[in-house]
Amino acid sequence: MNEEHFLEFDEYLQGEMPDADKLAFEEQLKQEPELAMAFETYKELHLHLENKFGKADELQAFKKNLKGISKKHFKKSKSNVIGFKPWHYAVAASVAVLLGIFILNQKSDPVFEDYNQTETVFFTERGEADDNLKLAQDAFNAKQYKKAIPLFETILKTDKSAEIQYFYGVSLLEDNRMLEAEAVFNELKSGNSIYKNKAIWSLALSKLKQKDYKSCQELLLTIPEDYEGNDQVDALLEELD
Amino acid sequence: MAATTVHSDQIYIEGLANNDSEVIHAIYKKFVPKVVHYIKSNSGDADKAQDVVQEVLILLFNQAKAQQLQLTCPFDAYFFLLCKRKWLNELKKHSNKGVTIKDEQPSIHDAADEMVVQTEHFDEKQQLYDAMFQKLGEKCQELIKLSFELPSMEQVAEKLAVTYGYVRKKKSLCIGQLTQLIQENNRFKSIKNT
Repeated sequence: MNEEHFLEFDEYLQGEMPDADKLAFEEQLKQEPELAMAFETYKELHLHLENKFGKADELQAFKKNLKGISKKHFKKSKSNVIGFKPWHYAVAASVAVLLGIFILNQKSDPVFEDYNQTETVFFTERGEADDNLKLAQDAFNAKQYKKAIPLFETILKTDKSAEIQYFYGVSLLEDNRMLEAEAVFNELKSGNSIYKNKAIWSLALSKLKQKDYKSCQELLLTIPEDYEGNDQVDALLEELD
Repeated sequence: MAATTVHSDQIYIEGLANNDSEVIHAIYKKFVPKVVHYIKSNSGDADKAQDVVQEVLILLFNQAKAQQLQLTCPFDAYFFLLCKRKWLNELKKHSNKGVTIKDEQPSIHDAADEMVVQTEHFDEKQQLYDAMFQKLGEKCQELIKLSFELPSMEQVAEKLAVTYGYVRKKKSLCIGQLTQLIQENNRFKSIKNT
């Protein structure tokens, strides 16, 4: 196969070949099986590349939709088939409570506050007590985020652990400093720490807080099934639908 | 190839190609439970089943998009067989320990067998195309990508700051190079010959 052939293939496929040449080309294909095979492969590749690069967004949209449907279906079948585990009742109850709240509030969209459950942190349990750590811990647990933020910033200068970064991000989010919070979570999201999935969840909550439901949903769908807070993820996904 | 009648279940294939949520829901409702049951009784769990089902559906989407999927048998048998074989391959890949595989009687749907082989070939070819694409030079990769992403070759030329004639020529030569890489590949030869 030489260059001329490939140029010819392209011209033919683009429908730019003059009729006379076209007939001659088709005749040539019939007589030269090797050329015909190369042309078949070229044509198939062309189609493959077109689907892969030209319609990449369609595949992305399909994958996203599929993942959502799959998640829903498997969650349903899990509770139907396995059933009778006490925590399922807890999940059902909490979902029911959440639903109840929504109905009572006459709200159709889920709100940040319902999913925002801040944890209590214990930084100083492990290792020696560091003044700033203790202060940040106390401020955070007392929900005094404005006070906690500068403390976290000081700590981060020397200890850039995922844990500190994460709770720094949470504080920013609680203090409505979304952009900064999202920057912190995005960094964790691209890393590989145990806070990776928590960071994605928090990012989703940040989007929820900003009523950007679409981004929220997209983020939720990227959280793997085995994430410890998956029930909340599923509950929120259902609300968003 | 002789003209074969398309099965009425082709609606599932069309639905997947159109990303039709209703159809996807219907597939999960009607056909997936059987797959889940099979994988669970053969050293797997629900999560693994979920992955296998998603992979197969994405494959079907791609094949349907490439207009190479004309169903000649019931979707049920075809889909189940595809998932089952994917799962068995998965088990083979990841485990040297003896796994218990409860294989039921061999499939009796000849048309389904044939369809499954077609789809698996399609899958292999796609993977091969992607792998060979990675072997192209960076310039070729970029040019090919752009020529399919951008709406016109004029825009590709503009973006790469070269002439229209150059990108046109280069594009066919790059795809030509890829064609040769693929034809020389042994895996391709074996897919073609089976």
